[in-house]
Formats: sequence, structure tokens, C-alpha cells
Amino acid sequence: MISVKNLKKQYKEAVVLDVEALEIPKGECFGLVGNNGAGKTTLFRIMLDLVRPTSGEVSLEGHVVNQGEEWKKFTGAYLDEHMLLSYLTPDEYFETLRKIHGLSEADLEVHLEKFAELFNDEVRGKKKYIRDLSKGNLKKVGIAAALLGNPEVVFLDEPFENLDPSSQIRLKKLISKEKDEFKRTFLISSHDLNHVTEICDRIVLLEKGKIIRDLSEKSEMMRELEAYFVG
Amino acid sequence: MFFELIRLQYLKSVRSTAFAKSLMTNIFLGFIILLLLSYLLLAGLFLGRIIENFAEGQDPIAFLNSFLIFFFLTEFLYRYFIQNLPVVDLESLLHLPVGKRKIMHLLLIRSFISPLNIIALLIFLPFSIQSIAPEFGSMGALGWIGSLVLTSWILHWFMLWFKQRFEDSTLGLIIVMAVLVLGGGSTYLGWYNLGELTQPIFDLAVNSILPLAVLSLVFVGSYWLCFRYHVDNAYLEDLSSDNDSQVRGQSIGFLSRFGLAGELANVEWKLIVRHKKSRTYLMLSAFFLLYGLIFYTNPAYASEDGGISFIFVFVGVFITGIFMIQYGQLFLSWNSGSFDFYLNRKDGVEQLVRGKYLLFISISVICFLASVPYVYFGWQILLVHIATFLFNIGVLIHVIIYLALWKPKPMDLNKGAMFNYEGVGAAQWLMVIPMMILPYVIYLPFALLINDFAALAALAIFGLFGILFYKKLSALNIRRVYQNKYEISSSFRQEL
Repeated sequence: MISVKNLKKQYKEAVVLDVEALEIPKGECFGLVGNNGAGKTTLFRIMLDLVRPTSGEVSLEGHVVNQGEEWKKFTGAYLDEHMLLSYLTPDEYFETLRKIHGLSEADLEVHLEKFAELFNDEVRGKKKYIRDLSKGNLKKVGIAAALLGNPEVVFLDEPFENLDPSSQIRLKKLISKEKDEFKRTFLISSHDLNHVTEICDRIVLLEKGKIIRDLSEKSEMMRELEAYFVG
Repeated sequence: MFFELIRLQYLKSVRSTAFAKSLMTNIFLGFIILLLLSYLLLAGLFLGRIIENFAEGQDPIAFLNSFLIFFFLTEFLYRYFIQNLPVVDLESLLHLPVGKRKIMHLLLIRSFISPLNIIALLIFLPFSIQSIAPEFGSMGALGWIGSLVLTSWILHWFMLWFKQRFEDSTLGLIIVMAVLVLGGGSTYLGWYNLGELTQPIFDLAVNSILPLAVLSLVFVGSYWLCFRYHVDNAYLEDLSSDNDSQVRGQSIGFLSRFGLAGELANVEWKLIVRHKKSRTYLMLSAFFLLYGLIFYTNPAYASEDGGISFIFVFVGVFITGIFMIQYGQLFLSWNSGSFDFYLNRKDGVEQLVRGKYLLFISISVICFLASVPYVYFGWQILLVHIATFLFNIGVLIHVIIYLALWKPKPMDLNKGAMFNYEGVGAAQWLMVIPMMILPYVIYLPFALLINDFAALAALAIFGLFGILFYKKLSALNIRRVYQNKYEISSSFRQEL
């Protein structure tokens, strides 16, 4: 369970994020939508302790994120390329992660097997550094890495961006399966309303750093969101 | 347009998150550069008299001319080590209707504005006025100084091409070594005298306008060649053909014994081997193993009572620690592209720093072992190396890292070779100076009050204490990274 309390991020006068309270129960697929600059990525970064909040706190499973690192053991995230080691090949990168998480080679193989369809033979076994991969493949590597090590909470920033249509569908299936089978909590930010309404149980709409809608009724989601974005 | 590009460069540096650090560094560098240049000018003013002392009864002009080739060989070497290659964010300009040629002209001309290009002028202008003008008239003086300065400037363009083309390759290193041997060996072994071979050119310059005219043409030609090379290669893909076809650098087995830190040291090793800039640093360490040959064989530093010249400490620190001194200066910047990766793992940053420590110490050990054969020049040299090695891994390593953690700059390692202009430059060398004072702070008092060996022992003991308290000292640096993690991570994300 994730809880955000009185969270505020301010750069001098400008308030970029102001979330009074947000609770995300375990096993929920939580979608975050909003226009550019609404504060989606900032919220994720603060939740992952990459950016310091001006006030307020975030806790994951009872651990306050900026007071220790215990929570990192059960949290996986892929926000951008800074979270990769771009000078390794994907295989070497997964191998490094395997050692960090203390998994066996068989564990890693089982994990990566799940991504075989998504990778489409373009990621593993290639003598190519991550930095030389296309944007779509880069994203696939990042997502596979975020899900490694059996995390309870997974943060994904724009996971569908840069993926081809078939990969988008495969990724959707994969996320739903992971959520149902292992009760993982997913936090997904996306501009793609179709995808996000399809897989998420709940969608929060951010505008100028504030939560202005909190939707959990599937039937209403699309209508409400379209009404907001089309204007 | 020209001024617009300059303005963009200016904004880039002012708005950089590391502006304060760059400013401080630049003020310090500026001061040192002025100091060094004023020494050169002084040397230039007294050059005539110095020559009279050395070559009594000989014609000072002919004498100087016979040595000029060595000046230029030396210039070649120091340019190789300290001349910076021009950097600009080409990527963001290439797709605009700006004109590649214009950008390149700007880049090259900017590179030309450098203290290195007035060194020849400072040293030789006074001599040409004092000694050549009275004898050969102002035209003679002009022809002579003009030829010298142009030769120096031709080297500038040549070096821009040479470093871009060869800095990363063994061939380049071999050429530089060859120049060193060629220059040093010629008069020493007496097979041939390079000075006498090239003397006629400079002698002629005093009497005739011909060398000046020819060199002017060569100067324009070399600029044009350099320009062509850079324009032709201003594409986003790598220059080298072996770009992504092979994956180089394998893990080093023994590092994995050190747990997670060892694993990250392995990853760091791959980083070093797979990027041009870091590879250059590694090659430099190999090159500097030979550094001792200059000092240890030099009779000027040998003392008759079997003592140790105090310069040897400097040499020892360099030989056993050059890698950590150079590479360590950019401590976290090397990881600026993936800092969030480490932040996002439990204890990731701590293990990253520990991994780097491990790597620095390992490379230091290798350098130390490789330098053992210097014992041929006397057993006291081995003592110097042991003491400085202990001091390096016990004390200096923490100091270097501490200094490097002050507002680390992001660095983009992933640009293609053409855009990776940043090699080893003057700044890295001059920042070594403060770090070099430290060993002497310990060494000198003991050397003056007791003797050289006591001073070496003191260095070694300080080093041993450092090693003993390794955990505590490294924890200080690790804590510093954690305290500044938000600033570091955001500066690494925003920049570039």
C-alpha cells in the first residue's frame, strides 16, 4: 500500500505539485494522466526519492521513502534512460541486475522468458550496446529490468510511448498478467487514454500539480477523460 | 550568425548547473596560466644572455637555430597532452539551416584562441628584437620570428587533426613515443643530429623572406586540411568503422570476489573500456609508467650522498596513482548517464563508490607492480614507490574523491566519436597541482628535520593509517554523496 500525504513541490514561487492525500492499495493498477507539465513525472520521481519534496511525505508499505532504503528491495521502476547502464549490452545489463538482486541464472531465464514475445528477438543475444538500441527496444529493456526481482510495486513512465502497435498490445497483456498473477501494484503514467483506461483499475487526472479527478468506474473513465481532454 | 553561436556557447556555460565550479576552476586556471606565461616571458627576455653563458664564443643565433627543432618536438608533446579539442553542441545545430562550414570555422577559430599559441611568441620575440634586429634588420627579425610562430601555429592545426584521429589508438601513442625517442635520442646517441639537419631552415629565415612565405602557405593549407577533416566528419555516427560490430571489455574475474561492490567495479571497468574518453585516461596511465625514465636517469636529480631528490616523491605519486588522479577527478561524472540507476537500488550509491575505490586501488597495485623494475636505478627508488603507493591508496584517494564530489558535472559519454571532443585537456593537469601539494606537506618537514628516509617512512605510515581507517574515511565520502544525491541526480538529468 502506497500513501502520499500533503506532498508539495515548489521551485521558488512556482508550485509544481500539490497532492494532499493519495492512497493506492496493494495490487491496484493505478493510472496517472494529465497534460504536459501537469507534474506526472515529478510525482513519480518524488515517490522514488529521486527529487526532494518541499514538504509532505511518501511511504511505500509503511516505509517513508526518504528515510531509508528498505523499500527499494520491493520496488521496480523505469522512468527514463538514466535508469539504464547504456554502455552494457542488454544481456550484460540483465546479468548485472541478476547479481544485484541475488537471483539465480535460472530465475533470470524464467523472468526473461516472459518477455520473449515483447522482445521479438531484437534484444537478447545481440552484440549491441543499450545506447545503440532503438527507442522502442530501449523501453522494452527498461520495463523488463523494472519487473526483475519480483517487485511488489512497479513505476512506469509512459510505457507505451515509442512502442509499435503490436508491442503495445503485448505489453498490455503482460502488465495485466503480472498484476493478476502476482498482485503487483502498477503505477503507470500515460498519454494514451485507450491503453490506460483498458488496463487500469483507477485513473487519477493531474492538472497543474493538483489531483482534479479520481476515477475508478470503468464505464465513466473514458467519457470523463475525453470530456476533459477534448475540452 | 557568428555572434549568435558565440552567445549560445556563453549561455550554455552560464546556465550550466556546474557554473560555480567551472567559474572557480577557471579563475584558478587563469591565475596559473598568467603565472606560467609571465615566467615564459621572463625566460624570453633573458634568452640572449642564457645562450651566451651556454655557448661561449659561438654565434648565439646559429646556436639557437640548431636547437629550435627540439623546442618544436617538445611543443608537439605538450600539445598532445594538454591541447583541448573544441567542443560545441553540434547535434542540436546540424539539422538547422546554419551551415556546417560556418560552425566548423567558428569551432576551429575558437580553439585557436589559446595561451598555447603565444608561447613561441613570448619566448622568442624578445630575442628577435634584441639580437636579430640589430644584425639583420627588422625584416630579418620579422622573417625569423614569423617562421617560428607559424611553425607553432601549424602544429596547432596539425594537433587538432592528430588528436581527433589518433588519440584513442595505439598508433597515436606509438607516434608520440617515436617523437620522444627521435628528439631525445638524436644528440644523445650521436648517430645523427636533428638540430643540424633543420638548422638551415631557420638560418635562412633571417636572411630571406622565403621560409616565411612557404610557412604561411603551409599554415593556410594546414588550417584548410583540418577544416576539411572536421567538416567531412561532422555526422552523428561514429568515425571508427568498428562501432557496434563488436563488444569489447570482459569482466575481470577476481573483482567479483568483492560482492556487489566488485560487481559494480566490473561494470565500471566496462564503462572505461567502452568509451573513448575513459580509454584515453587508461592509456595515459600506461604512458606515465615511463615517466620515471625522465627523472630517475637525470643526473641533475641524483644526489651524491645516496639521498633522494625531493622531486622523486612527485614522480612516485604520479607513477603509482596517475589513474586515480586523472580518472578520479571526474568521479561521479562518468556515471552521470545512469546515476538514477544506482539511486534506485538499495545501497546502490554506496556500492558504486566502493566499487570505484576497489577499481582505483586495483589499478594502483598494477601500476606499482609494473614500476618495480625501476629498482634498477637504485633501491631507494623502490622505497619511494612503496611509500607513495601506500600514501596514494591510504590518503590521496580519499582526498581526490572528496574534491571531485563538489558539484559534479554531467558528462555525455554516449555521443559518437566525432562529438566526443573532450579528451584529456589542460584543466585536468592543472587541477592536479593542489593534490600534489599534499604529499609534500607530510614529506618536507620530516625531510628537512630528520632525513629523506624518515620522510618516506612518514608518508608510508600516513598511508598505512589511511588504509587502517579505510572504512571510516570512505564512509565520509559515501555520506557526502548521499547528502547531495538530489542535487547531483537533478543536475545529471537536466544538463546536456
